[in-house]
Amino acid sequence: MNPTPMQARLMAAALFLVLLGLWELLVRQWGLSALVLPAPSAVAQALWSGLASGYFWPHIWATLQALFLGLAAGSIVGLLAGMALAESELLERVLKPYVVVSQVVPKLALAPLFVLWFGFGLLPTVLITALICFFPLMENTLAGLRQADAQRLQLFRMLGATRLQTLLRLKLPMGLPAILAGLRVAVVLALVGVVVAEFMGSSQGLGAVVIAAQGMMDTTLMFAALVLIAVIGLLLYQGCLLLERRLLRAHAFPASSLSATFPPRSRGNS
Amino acid sequence: MRTEGATVAFLDIEKVVFTYPGRAPVVDGVDWRMQAGEFHCLLGRSGCGKTTLLKLAAGLLRPQAGRIVLRGGELAAPGPQVGFMFQAPTLLDWLSVLDNVLLPVSLQRRPTPQDQQRALQLLDQLGLASHAPHHPRQLSGGQQSRVALARALVLEPPLLLLDEPFAALDAITRAELQDDLLRTCRERGTTVLFVTHDINEAVYLGDRIALMHGGRIVENWTITLPLPRTQAMRHGPAFNDYCARVRAAMDGAGT
Repeated sequence: MNPTPMQARLMAAALFLVLLGLWELLVRQWGLSALVLPAPSAVAQALWSGLASGYFWPHIWATLQALFLGLAAGSIVGLLAGMALAESELLERVLKPYVVVSQVVPKLALAPLFVLWFGFGLLPTVLITALICFFPLMENTLAGLRQADAQRLQLFRMLGATRLQTLLRLKLPMGLPAILAGLRVAVVLALVGVVVAEFMGSSQGLGAVVIAAQGMMDTTLMFAALVLIAVIGLLLYQGCLLLERRLLRAHAFPASSLSATFPPRSRGNS
Repeated sequence: MRTEGATVAFLDIEKVVFTYPGRAPVVDGVDWRMQAGEFHCLLGRSGCGKTTLLKLAAGLLRPQAGRIVLRGGELAAPGPQVGFMFQAPTLLDWLSVLDNVLLPVSLQRRPTPQDQQRALQLLDQLGLASHAPHHPRQLSGGQQSRVALARALVLEPPLLLLDEPFAALDAITRAELQDDLLRTCRERGTTVLFVTHDINEAVYLGDRIALMHGGRIVENWTITLPLPRTQAMRHGPAFNDYCARVRAAMDGAGT
């Protein structure tokens, strides 16, 4: 008995409800202090009142702003750097050791340094996030652009394509799956980066809310902020999957589905 | 029709030598001439240098000695005057079949409606008209090879170079594609140089066959089977006689 995707999803949702119910029951049975572990109902209430009163919104906005700015900056620079390294052998040989070293340095450990250099507020948060997003994008772009095979490269030479045409119309489309996989990693890391950076250097944002809640010993509020962070993460991840599905539609045609049985859904030039 | 010994050949390969650094020459002094509209097959075992010679003729490689003259001008770089077909179809998976065929055009300029028309007509001739909006992965191997052939012909190059393009196909599909290739190239008067290791294929397709061994052309034949070729000829005595002679020469060269 294999469950359909819908059934599997329902089962996952049911499990979630059961776990929440257990949690609620345990907290009530044992009379745990809300300081240690608040009941889900209390968290939900804190979440609701925070949203209704407008307390959370500026923080959500601040976190999203830093996240998207950092993600955009880091991804674009990472993409361009990956393209430059992939195209220039010299550049790659000179810079690769630095890239490897900077890979093994935990970027989050630089957060205090960034606060020292750039002060408190949006700027260090964005910079940390950008730095974190930079590496997966650069690495995957570099690897992705190398995926073009010798025959297709020869085809483009044979057709008199310029170097830029070869990059944009052969190497980049061929590397797109790898590049988007890098983006998916970057998005998840970016959220971690934003929250941790906000722990240290910010009075705005959900990370700052967590720290403030800790200071006020308001564990319920802390849980509510964590729920919001988790929801943002889930939405971003889903967004990435959606983007991949859209952009990779042409890549993803299964090799076995011959045209005779294939529904005419890919009309028009891509 | 044939003008052997004419003053200017269509494609003139003169004493061409090509060596990868630190190894024996892959192509070791090859002379070969082709007249316009001829179909020549370059036959040989793996590693005899036939693919390298084809890449030299395409301008993908530069010879260390000798020269290659195409229509009176020395060949400097690859370009749209030469169509090339690789061992694999090498289509771009993310483009539709039509856009794949139009790739040689769209790398030069924006395709016009006439270009589209010509591409569709080529696809139609190759029996693929209904597949124009599909993507390569939705096609069978033989269909993909046809798309690659259409792509090689879309700019109507006077010279078409093919590197064992049908080697991976089953026998029946290969025979169909051979007929398609012959018909399409005869209609356009395209000059064709076809690399293969299959004696049967070389005799069926070629007006002339050059046998390569150890980087040199060691033997050549003019095939005088009637045109157009038909599949029934494969079972005739003349065809099999050619095959036997070529086979004997190949065995002789191998020892």
